[in-house]
Amino acid sequence: MSVLNVRNITKVFPGTKALDDVSLSFESGKVNALIGKNGCGKSTLVKIINGAYIPDDGTFDIDGVAMKFENPSDAFDKGIATVYQEMSLIPGLSVAENILIGRYETNGAFVDWKRTYAKAQGLLDEMGIDLPLRELVVNLSVWQCQVVEIVKAMSCRPKVILLDEPTSALAQHQTQILFRLIRELKKKDVIIIYITHRLQELWEIADTSTVLRDGRLTGKVNMAEAQPRDVLKLMFGDVEVKDRPADLAVSDEVVLEVSGFTLSPKFEDISFSLRKGEVLGIAGMLGSGRTELLRAVFGADHADSGTIVLNGESVSNPSPRTMSQRGLAFTPEDRKTQGLVQMLSIGDNLCHASLGQVSPGGFVNTKLMRMFADRQVEALEIKTTSTDLPMTSLSGGNQQKVVVGKWLNAEPKVIFFDEPSRGIDVKAKQQIFQIIWDQSRRGISSVVVSSELEELLEVCHRIIIMRLGRFVGEVRPENVTIEQLYSMCMGGEEL
Amino acid sequence: MTPAAGNNFDISRFSKKYMMEIILFFITLTLVFSAPGFFSLGNILNVFRNVALAGVISFGMTMTIIGGEIDLSVGSAIALSAVLTASVTGALAKAGILPMNQAVIIGMIVAVLVGLCIGYIIGFIRTRFNIPTFIITLAMLNVIYGSSALISKGFPVTTLPDWYNWIGAGQLFGFFPVPALWLLIAFAVAFVIMNLTRFGREVYAVGGNPESARLSGINVTKVKIIIMVGVQVMAACSGIILSAQVMSGSSTFGRGYEMDVISAVIIGGTSLFGGIGKVWGTMIGIVFLGVINNGMTLFGVGDFEKYIVRGLLILFAVLLNTIQVQSLQKAKLSK
Repeated sequence: MSVLNVRNITKVFPGTKALDDVSLSFESGKVNALIGKNGCGKSTLVKIINGAYIPDDGTFDIDGVAMKFENPSDAFDKGIATVYQEMSLIPGLSVAENILIGRYETNGAFVDWKRTYAKAQGLLDEMGIDLPLRELVVNLSVWQCQVVEIVKAMSCRPKVILLDEPTSALAQHQTQILFRLIRELKKKDVIIIYITHRLQELWEIADTSTVLRDGRLTGKVNMAEAQPRDVLKLMFGDVEVKDRPADLAVSDEVVLEVSGFTLSPKFEDISFSLRKGEVLGIAGMLGSGRTELLRAVFGADHADSGTIVLNGESVSNPSPRTMSQRGLAFTPEDRKTQGLVQMLSIGDNLCHASLGQVSPGGFVNTKLMRMFADRQVEALEIKTTSTDLPMTSLSGGNQQKVVVGKWLNAEPKVIFFDEPSRGIDVKAKQQIFQIIWDQSRRGISSVVVSSELEELLEVCHRIIIMRLGRFVGEVRPENVTIEQLYSMCMGGEEL
Repeated sequence: MTPAAGNNFDISRFSKKYMMEIILFFITLTLVFSAPGFFSLGNILNVFRNVALAGVISFGMTMTIIGGEIDLSVGSAIALSAVLTASVTGALAKAGILPMNQAVIIGMIVAVLVGLCIGYIIGFIRTRFNIPTFIITLAMLNVIYGSSALISKGFPVTTLPDWYNWIGAGQLFGFFPVPALWLLIAFAVAFVIMNLTRFGREVYAVGGNPESARLSGINVTKVKIIIMVGVQVMAACSGIILSAQVMSGSSTFGRGYEMDVISAVIIGGTSLFGGIGKVWGTMIGIVFLGVINNGMTLFGVGDFEKYIVRGLLILFAVLLNTIQVQSLQKAKLSK
């Protein structure tokens, strides 16, 4: 048996302390789950263990042998294997080639394919897995790729294997196959660290759960003894949900009515209505279909069925162009790749959704453009010395404000916010909330999607809950605790 | 802003921003003092006339590349346009429908319309089936050369009226070459479109990040089709100028022109990844190529050597551009 000991690890990023004096240990022969809500520091810890980050303070060792890595490949050589969510396989090569890449059996300068395939088959047999070795990886399904990744990692006989949300892209029955493989791993002398956000899996696969919150260790439980509420308590602590300003009125006038929206297999039969000035939250875990729903209503993706009535007009065949013209705005979850054109200036980006207004007759009026840009810089307090600077000169929070400002320039009636607080600091978060409330006061409605449930409780008038693509309930923030909301998002009666 | 920064002229920033202009200036200066016959009005206008054919297209190509696409078939489009103009003129005149003097106008219109259609087809395939324009236009290059050879039956077509020669070889006020005029017009049109119109802003947005542009309500498909049409139309115009210059249309025209065109755009600082670039930069790139070529001719450098120099020039320009970008990034990191 071997043990990975983490001692007093601290890691600071500009603006945040990602890990604060964390000490813990993981044993081999067990599935050690590492959990916590977004931004709790679990990814940072994983990246320190696998050499992607160097800790500012603290050490870690395996069985008393100190580990210090220059980079991930150094860590890999010393027995730390990581299986990432995003696949690192080469699609054009076969399963066997992917497993043994760089370690083929050779005869002089030539690859000995017979022995290479035999070796790969041996590895599969050892783990009790059946996979077509000669098949190209591009033809495999997601769970098969995940299995290949694990076999590849295990073929190097690692001391530690880090599984980063291996089930996040899998369906239920595929998850079971993966679990069987993971249980097989327990028989080997390897330290398994399992990162997940699906709490209901813990009782099925994990032996212990280590919980982080805000960069600190909050506890470690034995799954055989732990109750769901113990785990939730460790994850959230005593959450203080701040109050919404009292003056946010909602009128009775319905501005957006979505009914029977379906995009298989992402979400099915979702209906909601939104009143003037209302802030509606959509709660749900990753994979619940919330982002996909927003995208489909905005017309970024094509829904299978469903109707939209926006401002009293029925809309057929929505597209981002027509929906934005009708007064709908959408700030996507990934501002870098979907919300902004990074290489262009702040001013350009602020005008991208309102090019029609700043260019009467097709010719850009630079004065008007400057005015449009300046008024958002002022209204949203975007910190910059000039709107001619490139987007990259701004911090995350200010970039997010540019995305919002871009849409405010188009004078929308309804704004969709997809993860508006992702990757921005606490102060900027509050400013974004203020912006959402300010719009509400002006009679502009918002739909907010966030994985941070306490944020939804703070910001929204009303919250609808989605789970695995289905509508499961609707709550008012004042009538629900964060644990209750979390349980509804996770599903499972025991939670 | 501190007073020091306000008063002092920041030489390093200036030189970084206008690197190509400065290099062009010094090369020109060197040639003025060393190359026999370089510094005369006649020779300078000659430079412009020589680059006019590639230049006209390069302004269309600038839009295409900023929009994140490319067109490798422009050389063949020159041939097709030249052949079409001459053939249509000849056919109309032979059939007695119109005298050749007027028939050539129909010929030019047909050539431009065909260019427009080809551009539309390329843009349509690009947006409908999501095939890279690099591949589509590589295929089209062969299709277009084949078509122009087929139409001309492999021989130069010379059915063109005398006045037509003015377009390619005439002189304004007795000294200013007409092709240079087309070059300036193409520059002006591209400059206005890219800098002053809504469409120009959309091209930058689409080239910089098509997904963000789409989610901002910009019609990405339309923008991509228009830029592919634009460069083909410019190529057709260039074909007309060339056929007017030599008074014939042949399927051998335009071979390798796409390389001159793309070189000029890249030397001008436009990023092959899209989203970044300036029409003015392309003007510099075009003049740069012209001056270097002219200088080499005056010094009696052979054709073979010219190729080598031009190739190295492209490498050098891209290298310069990359170093500039990297130094900017470094400056940001250290901030």
